[in-house]
Amino acid sequence: MNAPAMDVPADDLVVTGTGLALRGVGEPRRLLAPHPPPGDGDDPVARLTGRGLRYRDRATRLAMCAARDALAAAGLVRPPGTPGDLTVPAHRAGVVASTNYGNVDTVCDTVTTIAKETYTGTSPMALPATASNVVASWVAITHGLHGANLTLCNGETSGLDAVHWARQLVAAGRVGWVLVIGVEPVNPPVRHLATGGTGTDARLLDGAAALVVETAGSARERGAPALAAIGPYARKGTWHEAVAAVRGPGAEPVGLWCAPGGTVPPHALDPAQTCDLTATLGECSGALGVLQAVAGTAWLHGGGSADVLATAGTGRDGGADASAALILRAAR
Amino acid sequence: MGWIITGMGAVAATGGDVAGFFGALCAGRSAHAPLRGFDPTRYRARNAYEIDDRPASGDVPLRASRWLERAVAAALRDAGMGERLGDVPVLVGTTLRELRSVELSWRDGVPFDPADLHFGAVLGRRFGATRTYTVANACAASLYALGLGTDLLELGECDTVVVAGVDTITESTYGLLDRCYPEAPDRIRPFDRDRRGMLQGEGAAAVVLRRAADGPGPAGRRHATVRGVAVNCDAAHPSAPDAGSIGAAIREAHERSGVRPADIDLVMLHGTGTPLNDEAEAGALAEVFGTAAGRPHMTAVKSMTGHTAGASGLHSLVAGVEAMRTGTVPPTVHLDDPIDEVAGFRLVRGAAAHTTGLSVAQVDSFGFGGLNAVAIVERAVRS
Repeated sequence: MNAPAMDVPADDLVVTGTGLALRGVGEPRRLLAPHPPPGDGDDPVARLTGRGLRYRDRATRLAMCAARDALAAAGLVRPPGTPGDLTVPAHRAGVVASTNYGNVDTVCDTVTTIAKETYTGTSPMALPATASNVVASWVAITHGLHGANLTLCNGETSGLDAVHWARQLVAAGRVGWVLVIGVEPVNPPVRHLATGGTGTDARLLDGAAALVVETAGSARERGAPALAAIGPYARKGTWHEAVAAVRGPGAEPVGLWCAPGGTVPPHALDPAQTCDLTATLGECSGALGVLQAVAGTAWLHGGGSADVLATAGTGRDGGADASAALILRAAR
Repeated sequence: MGWIITGMGAVAATGGDVAGFFGALCAGRSAHAPLRGFDPTRYRARNAYEIDDRPASGDVPLRASRWLERAVAAALRDAGMGERLGDVPVLVGTTLRELRSVELSWRDGVPFDPADLHFGAVLGRRFGATRTYTVANACAASLYALGLGTDLLELGECDTVVVAGVDTITESTYGLLDRCYPEAPDRIRPFDRDRRGMLQGEGAAAVVLRRAADGPGPAGRRHATVRGVAVNCDAAHPSAPDAGSIGAAIREAHERSGVRPADIDLVMLHGTGTPLNDEAEAGALAEVFGTAAGRPHMTAVKSMTGHTAGASGLHSLVAGVEAMRTGTVPPTVHLDDPIDEVAGFRLVRGAAAHTTGLSVAQVDSFGFGGLNAVAIVERAVRS
């Protein structure tokens, strides 16, 4: 497949870097494989070193790994040896994080401790992680990102919603660069909650994905490669409505379809290729949409030329509150 | 440029609607009470600002979702809108989502569907809303959401947006705050020398926003105009605030709104009564306002509502809008011995202040993770 030599308009949003923290998955292209990654890979958070990690929750550590790689890939941080040194103005660099279960462990472990030992048994170091924005907070602190900092905890669609809000922040002129992170950890409280209290042996994602977005004009100016362009997005009550809203009538064929997981209603998408991350990685919850965007970016950067259609949440037909869809296109 | 607030709703421990909520604040009536929701033998702290609507049989899930529902329904009614929202965006700022329900599920086995962890579920069921976003931006969340809402309107993504905030007290935060303070706070005493920290409150608030150019919509109500909202992040410490970064947010809010410090008539302070917040907030205000720092009336309603976290920014905003409309500024109660940093400020203490000519209010809202959001709101001009 040859991508057409076509520049995207300067104010279009493009992806300029991606990162993953996922056991057994090194390169983003590996997300496109139809089979699960090997279960015996190294824990990605083993790559982190430094002080203060002891008090960071699992979600924060995973997010820090993916974030660091995405920022480096986009050329927003200087090479190793000068950590935290941004190549762009700090107040113009924002963060949008997506997670549903990120800080559930801190909350549940704390009430268990209080019941057993009263409040005196708790550690004051756990306080910041009771607030659901703890991941975005630590990532901003680590890299000195002073711009708008959002955490979306928005159910199954949360990851695609995060990409959308990154675009909104840039379009509104609040920031020039946004680091988008999707992360979910696995631990007993998450397993309890995600399985509705049954604790059954469901497969759940333990990992993070990150990407950097900015305008095509900004990427050109910095000499950063535009890996993919971000197209239309919609959040609707049903899966069909969300897909129809982003594709419009007479839309081009779908090159890569990122399936939402769960039971998808009958459709006539007929994609050239399908990527079902829920089947290969387990339930990805708030990380799904960001993982899909990273997978779609890898597919486009690898030569895919037709549209990538990412869909998350099966909508009211599937028992969720909504469904979201996002198109990614070749940047050039 | 600006965005009309055409509907408002509020639920708090001080009152279940805007009139009750604001009336209590003006009367100096605090919701401060002995802790009722949790087993008091587990804590050193004794008090909170709860909405004690639990059944006699014990705590139940989804209390936050129900307050949110009530606040949004009230705001829609006020704006003359029906309850079928469809594609009208609803942005909900929160610190703790439905994590109290998660605690009940994990420790006590109370059934809870994880789909209800974010507020899109309840907003879908009650209002048929599909463009719903739960913004978990700590205690700056509802003003952060207000900023995002104005962006949606400005970019032409919608004509009307609902912005809300909601929070309930969780045992995990109540216990960890208790663990962190050297002495348990007996109550919130913003900017007082004897302040020992914050105690949590509960509730929700909602506003309906439209572009000023489009007019106020069905009910024709103009409560106030949002002139601008600035947001940023300290990127410095997970819980301690940074005065420089707060100052930058205040300055940006003024720039976005086309106002100078001398134009501000009222500052609705974040004022949590923690040693660090009050010092940083006072320092930032003194630095940005300079010689104008003594001009605006200032008050901190958390002294009566408790710290309502993700809802607190909008609680302050609703109170500020009502203060401008009525000319009555609620007092900061239990501020008996002000810290040096606020020496030149015109803090309303003891009883409500009655005044005329309040036209422009600044609303402060800061949260964990160094999140800062500051809104500038202008009084509606009678048409």
